Amino acid sequence: MAVTYGEGVDSGVIVGADSRTSTGSYVANRVSDKLTPVHDSIYCCRSGSTADTQAVADYVRHFLAQHAITLDSKPQVKTAAYLFQKLVYNNKDRMSASIICAGWDPVNGGSVYCVPLGGACVQQDFAIGGSGSTYIYGLMDASYRVGMSKAECIDFVKKTISHAMARDGSSGGVIRLAAIDKTGVERFFVGGNDLPFTPQ
Amino acid sequence: MSILEYNGAAIIAMTGKNCVGIAADTRLGIQAQTVATDFKKVFKVNDKLFVGLAGLATDVQTLDQILRFRQNLYELREERPMTPKVFSNLLSNILYEKRFGPWFVEPVVAGIDEAGKPFLSEMDLIGAPVYTDDFVVSGTCSGNMYGMCETLYKPDMEPDDLFETLSQALLSSVDRDALSGWGGVVHIITADGVKSRVLKGRMD
Repeated sequence: MAVTYGEGVDSGVIVGADSRTSTGSYVANRVSDKLTPVHDSIYCCRSGSTADTQAVADYVRHFLAQHAITLDSKPQVKTAAYLFQKLVYNNKDRMSASIICAGWDPVNGGSVYCVPLGGACVQQDFAIGGSGSTYIYGLMDASYRVGMSKAECIDFVKKTISHAMARDGSSGGVIRLAAIDKTGVERFFVGGNDLPFTPQ
Repeated sequence: MSILEYNGAAIIAMTGKNCVGIAADTRLGIQAQTVATDFKKVFKVNDKLFVGLAGLATDVQTLDQILRFRQNLYELREERPMTPKVFSNLLSNILYEKRFGPWFVEPVVAGIDEAGKPFLSEMDLIGAPVYTDDFVVSGTCSGNMYGMCETLYKPDMEPDDLFETLSQALLSSVDRDALSGWGGVVHIITADGVKSRVLKGRMD
């Protein structure tokens, strides 16, 4: 999931994800990293087929790098999201990739774009995806507030991901977070023992 | 998804020195969604005999009722408790009765016989039994559990050692399975009685 916080150029985003990759019911990787950088201050949260999303992210990283050179400045997050959209939409019959593209750029500040399975591209204040997201729509709607501080936002993301991990069999492991703002990217890690919520 | 994997389960039973242990997870799920974290899958038949039922949750509960009924009838008629071997055979018979429309459970029987010797058996959903003297496993992560048991098991463990071994084998196995876990229970059966403990494990 990805959430924006703050306002204007001081705004930023928090991206977060669980770490479980399953093949059927077997947990193939319990410490995977689903937060992938596509540029210095632009990350994507990958869900769906790992092979498809890794391939798409690699393509976007490649094109964005070229674009940044010709532009001679940091690319906008909406450009990255547009590239994701192009790839997902044009290959929709061959792929299963649901991606959230989020980051910070000097023009728009922090922003979040959701590129779900069909290849739409929608900008939102916050976005959630993956199989566990169905369990936290209500929680998100009830607890999200516009203009939260960075610390509040981090706690919010940790809490909601914990709730999804508690209910969804395909989500679990640890929580990986990245805070992206004008100063750059800061990565956080929440181990399984430190989850803010566990079922009784 | 297979009908036996609809709800998710993990059960291990092991023998020790004049004792047996049986451990199970406590998750009840509906495919990927977890619905309860306190679902009972191991049931006491009598003071020296436990049965663990892995598989479709509705059949787990129904078979528990059927087995308690049959065990009560046996005790009334025979005026003595059922021995593990007899119970295992009864269960096998009940399952095979439904050969062409089976109960979707794969049970595990663990107990101590009249002579104080540990007894284990496991069967498939149509009642084919397997008798071993070390460990039996059943559930959605049986491959993981076999691996853990083969590695951690040693013969003639004392009850406290047996508890540790069972717990570690179960917890490590369910942590690699998306359909089991979310808590566990372990019962250690000795000639003196049963000690049951709740396991604190990962709840994801």
